[in-house]
Amino acid sequence: MVIELLLALGIGAGLFGVGLYGALSQTNLVMIMMGVELMLAAALVNLVAFWRYLHPEAMSGQMFVLIVMTVMAVEMAVGFGVAIARFRSRGSVEMEEARELKG
Amino acid sequence: MSAQLAFLAFFGAAALWFAVVVFRTHSMVRSALALLFSQTAVGAMFLVMQAEFLGVLQIMMMATEMSVMAIFMVMFMMDPGGLGAMEMTHQKKRSLWAGGLALIAALGVSWLGNWGPVATQLALPARQTELLGIELLGRSMLIFESAGLTILTAMIAATMVAITPLEDEPKKERHHGH
Repeated sequence: MVIELLLALGIGAGLFGVGLYGALSQTNLVMIMMGVELMLAAALVNLVAFWRYLHPEAMSGQMFVLIVMTVMAVEMAVGFGVAIARFRSRGSVEMEEARELKG
Repeated sequence: MSAQLAFLAFFGAAALWFAVVVFRTHSMVRSALALLFSQTAVGAMFLVMQAEFLGVLQIMMMATEMSVMAIFMVMFMMDPGGLGAMEMTHQKKRSLWAGGLALIAALGVSWLGNWGPVATQLALPARQTELLGIELLGRSMLIFESAGLTILTAMIAATMVAITPLEDEPKKERHHGH
């Protein structure tokens, strides 16, 4: 049974690595958000695996998953709000063109 | 090899494969769809791990979320179909290193960690949902309500950020006029 836990954690690690690569390497705001979504999905996989294989009696594990899903939805809403504002004022959501935000 | 392990490996491999496709294709619509498939595979992993409520929730939520994402992609991108094969990345080597190091660190922690005994007994799906409901409206009610309030605030904030303030319009025109 422990091999299933390790496999799920390994897949979570893989998703996190791919998501981090995407969030750092992409120049488009929407693509960066996709990377962040993948990292949050990795967190979800780990949480469900910990709940299932270590503490299936504690429902606070599933509760934590619901909170991370909320974070995903909030990230999407705020990200698209910023994307629309940026597109309206500058006509693009390319991060290379947003250098004036640098302090 | 148990059926659970086989299905977990299959859906996990699908999730990883589609996650890589997201950043490898030039077409933005294809990357939104690849992310949808990746998230659906994650939802299928939840189903394999017998968290049925969360699995169905993940698939339903991500199907909507990624469709919205695909629409935004087409709206905002200069080349949504990827026909021009534009270069959309920067600092590629450093990002690869960061992603690789995060992967190795997470794998190291998960494989070297002592996780203790693994649970075999599990409540039936209907009982699980019932227990989750009791948890949500009992001990974790404050957290649950805070999450709901956070979503509401984010919705209002995102709408306020996205709509053009009416009083700014004449100012902008005056600025262009000079």
